[in-house]
Amino acid sequence: MNMRLKRLIMAALVATGLCTSVAVAGEVDTLVLDGSTTVGPIAKAFAEYYMAKHPGVNVTVNESGSGNGAKSLINSGCSIANMSRFMKDNEFAAAVEKGVMPVAHVVAMDGLPFLVHPSNPVKGLTVQQVRAIFSGAISNWKEVGGPDREIVVVSRDTNSGTYETFHGLVMTHDVDGEKVKEKIKDGAEYVGSNGGIRARVQSTPAAIGYAGLGFVDKTVKALEVNGVYPSGQTVTSGLYPVSRPLFMFTNGYPKLGSHIHAFVTLHLSEQGQEIVEDIGFVPVTHY
Amino acid sequence: MRLATRKLLDVSSSSLGFISIGIMGVALLVILVPIFSRGAQAFVFKGTIEHRRLLLERFERGDAAAFAEEYEAVRAARQPVYDTIATFGAAQQQTLDKMIAVLTRLSKRNDSIARLVKRRLRRISDDEPFLDNVDTVSKVLERLEGHVDSAEIAGDLALLHSGVDAMAPQVAALEELKDAVANLLGPAPGTVQPALPRRQYGATRWDRAEVRLQDLLYETLWDYSGDGMGHRVLKPRVEQFRDTPMEPLFDYVEHHAEAMLQPRWTCYWGFLFDKPLDIHIFGGILPELLGTIYLTIGAILFAVPVGIITAIYFSEYARPGRIVSFLRTCVSTLAGVPSIVFGMFGLAFFLNACHMPKGVLAGALTLSLLILPTIIRASEEAIRAVPRTYREAALSLGAGRWHTIVTVIVPAALPGILTGTVISMGRAAGETAPIIFTAAASVAAVLSFNPLQVWNQPTASLSWNIYNLCTEHEAANEIRHVQFGMVAVLVTVVLVLNLFAILLRARIARKLKG
Amino acid sequence: MRESSKTPRLNMPSERLILSARANLQNHVLGLVGRSALFVVTSVAAAAVLFIIVYIARDAIPFFQLRGVREFFTSTGWYPSGDPPVFGALAIITGSVLVTVGAVVVAVPLGVSAAICLSDVLPFSARQAVKPVIEVLAAIPSVAYGFFALVVLAPLLQEAGGRVLAVAWYLLALPLLFLTVAVISDLLTSRIQVEARRRLARTIALVVLAAGALLLLALTGRALYGLTIKTGTNAMNVSIILGIMALPTVVSVSEDALQAVGRDLREGSYALGATRAETMIKTIMPAASSGILAAVLLGIMRALGETMVVWMASGNAAQIPSPLFNYLEPIRTLTATIAGDMGEADHVTGSARYHVLFAMGLLLLVFCFLCNLASEWVVARQRKKLTGEA
Repeated sequence: MNMRLKRLIMAALVATGLCTSVAVAGEVDTLVLDGSTTVGPIAKAFAEYYMAKHPGVNVTVNESGSGNGAKSLINSGCSIANMSRFMKDNEFAAAVEKGVMPVAHVVAMDGLPFLVHPSNPVKGLTVQQVRAIFSGAISNWKEVGGPDREIVVVSRDTNSGTYETFHGLVMTHDVDGEKVKEKIKDGAEYVGSNGGIRARVQSTPAAIGYAGLGFVDKTVKALEVNGVYPSGQTVTSGLYPVSRPLFMFTNGYPKLGSHIHAFVTLHLSEQGQEIVEDIGFVPVTHY
Repeated sequence: MRLATRKLLDVSSSSLGFISIGIMGVALLVILVPIFSRGAQAFVFKGTIEHRRLLLERFERGDAAAFAEEYEAVRAARQPVYDTIATFGAAQQQTLDKMIAVLTRLSKRNDSIARLVKRRLRRISDDEPFLDNVDTVSKVLERLEGHVDSAEIAGDLALLHSGVDAMAPQVAALEELKDAVANLLGPAPGTVQPALPRRQYGATRWDRAEVRLQDLLYETLWDYSGDGMGHRVLKPRVEQFRDTPMEPLFDYVEHHAEAMLQPRWTCYWGFLFDKPLDIHIFGGILPELLGTIYLTIGAILFAVPVGIITAIYFSEYARPGRIVSFLRTCVSTLAGVPSIVFGMFGLAFFLNACHMPKGVLAGALTLSLLILPTIIRASEEAIRAVPRTYREAALSLGAGRWHTIVTVIVPAALPGILTGTVISMGRAAGETAPIIFTAAASVAAVLSFNPLQVWNQPTASLSWNIYNLCTEHEAANEIRHVQFGMVAVLVTVVLVLNLFAILLRARIARKLKG
Repeated sequence: MRESSKTPRLNMPSERLILSARANLQNHVLGLVGRSALFVVTSVAAAAVLFIIVYIARDAIPFFQLRGVREFFTSTGWYPSGDPPVFGALAIITGSVLVTVGAVVVAVPLGVSAAICLSDVLPFSARQAVKPVIEVLAAIPSVAYGFFALVVLAPLLQEAGGRVLAVAWYLLALPLLFLTVAVISDLLTSRIQVEARRRLARTIALVVLAAGALLLLALTGRALYGLTIKTGTNAMNVSIILGIMALPTVVSVSEDALQAVGRDLREGSYALGATRAETMIKTIMPAASSGILAAVLLGIMRALGETMVVWMASGNAAQIPSPLFNYLEPIRTLTATIAGDMGEADHVTGSARYHVLFAMGLLLLVFCFLCNLASEWVVARQRKKLTGEA
């Protein structure tokens, strides 16, 4: 036993040594992306596409949230920060202080469709109704022309860029010329991801939630808002009231010809646009 | 109290215990059975021809000649479907062309019509989607209706308009049908190759194919006529194509689905060793597996030496006293720290204070802290279990204390130490919370086999990607088998490690008995 | 064994048995150096926990400086990105407490009775067969439990919630109720002296009580059957899973405590004519009470510190359910909040939003620290008591 163990340890040491000597040989180009879970699907699909095209490049995608993406970019922890919202003042200030100049690249447009269970007869809501539902003023579907069921409100986690977009576009409104921010009601459920929202809605007949446009499929029903159905055209034309651009931030404009540059301009290529559209987002050139 | 009552109480208390143990066993079964039975479906399933095409094209596996032969047969089986669709599409195109011709003729006869029609008709071209062309014609007709005074022409127009209106839903239905066919069989021959792999292949698994076939044959509608929630209605798609050449198509698809897809029981070991394709929609879990292995081995490399040395100190050198009992309290407190707090500490210390990049090293260090108490405790117990006589014999032979420890005590305690190490390997492999902020990435290239290139790279890992795939993936429902497969692999890894530990322990017990 | 050890060292003892003064000193110094090196490594291992406390506290304290203490502990509003933000952790703390209590309710009765059965009822071989079950339960990674809770249990509860609950209730309550009914009717009639009359009275009592119990069971079962669960990701789902996860800890620690009581107490009790149940309840459990308490504390720590299960399956709604013990409502816990919110907190600027998570971590840490100390103290006391008595 003892002998064998020693031999094993020796072998392991030799193996490690060998690895170490090989290590010096080739350096791999790495591209680290960090940030929003909403931009995640685009980044992941781009990453796979890019790695297949350029075998020597290693692209890593973290989906830890927009705020974390900004932090990573500022700390030089990543080369591209995916964000579903624009950088905040204090993040910009911190970046500049550390010598990082964030440059935004809009990679796609996204709408925030409101999702309900397909068995829900309600076809559409107004922004006011949505606000009332999420703030708790309306708590039963029958108040908006639906069946007599208590509404289960599902929101994205308060930390997400999606939540901030929703909160800014829907929950904030003018009352006598003053901006009032309504709070989401106490009993609302919070889900950490877009996929989670869809899962909650498709399994809960009385639920309403919101997620990225890419997460609409046959298992849920997207509602018309102010009479406009969320689609690629209505989002880019601005008809659909709850839409936003999705960003990738880099430190300065990337050097032309670099992998970072190729990556953040991938969405402009024909293939890139097809990928964006296939995942369910709206390509930026879709006018 | 009567004796019988007391006996009854006795029996009932015992049966309470049996019930509890039974519940425990049932809970274990209830949890493990779905995980393993559905996890096995990631490895063994009815793979279709599309699966074999995928393997051949993407992973260069399989017999190309046999595949070519099989694919030829499949193509022959599929051809009628494509032919029927193409014929119907051409017929629709012809009808539209005729309508446009009529319109052009009318506009030649009538100036006012010409003015209204000309510019709009120019928008129609073969590059536009067919449905848009139909839409344009319909709009033109709508415009015209108010502007025409001659009754004869108005009659013509009305006829045309009703023709277009009848056509529009069929055209839309045809588009939907084409999508459904592409979903089932892969892109139609002659179309542009889609960018995403998920659109390049049809249903690779027969269970998914059956769902998609259902989708092709039936349209899911919701009936909201009642008072409460709507009901699901499955409407056969064939009804949209009644009395058209398309009608027999649905029957054909339903009965020839197997011929078109050639499902066959497949054992897909590549699930373990293949790279994922299109974010786990196809392919295997190699990056996750490697990431987990790296993190676990890294954690063990850091924790085991420190753990053993600490155990040696506690068991051989430490004299009871304030300092030692303080140190012991520290270690036992470490055992009670929640795993997420380790993650926060990893973030605050290794990443923010030491400026390490998020990657394997930071994750492994964080995990090593987590398993340190287990290793210390197991090693200490193992060292204490070494009989006194060993020590005395070594000392009496003139060996120094240190010499005794290194050559006699630690080797004797090695199986026990190994047991603790193996168990904590299982723990490190399964933990998620400590690596969320320190090492985990959703998508990463497969780690190289070279440790020096790996340390600063974030990595996918089984535990994190189980969470990620079942909550964040945009097609989470489509890839349940991958999620279950991952869980099954992770649980298997952990259980095998534990089994190994149990066997080791049994061996020690036998050895101690003599 | 080794090649090198064959040649020179064999001759050593015959050369010189007594070390020179220099060699002696050398040995002494080497020993001292080695020992202090060991001590240093040990201190590093032990200091890890101090480092953890310091680094968590260092990032937690700015929160209290920025926002004060009151809001954190008294407000139920959790709007970290609101304008103005609200960092009330009361609802979240309540959520943590609720699921922990739920887990304890699941794990402790099951665990302690299983431990009794293991230590005193089952023969050795059966015990060996049960041990792996406990070990496997303990070994399954938390993310696998979470996955099960989210993908299997939650849809089941939501679609067939009432039926599942009713079936579980019947399966659990039927044997328990019958045992209780039999025992109660026996106790009620045990005073009657005449054998025949007693038997009759007992039968009557049994029938009446059993009928009542069945009626109760049927009523509650029906009420449960008709229950629709709004959402499957709720406190009950999480409590059950956390309870199962805490079971192995509770079972093994309390079994150890029961074993530690020793044979003599048991034998004394049996010699006085006590049955096994009486021995366990009146003698062994009180003697092992502190060990069982330690088991409960460790179970609490396990449930409170668990992240993945609650993050995936608790619904993450920062609310205090009404009524408080409505386990069918979604809740949110400290651990899930940390895991979920850390990504979006803007770390760089040192905002309250980042530090509040560390405040939560500190809270968890302090609680687990206290639990750990308490359990250690309790175990030490038991050991002292037992050795003192022996």
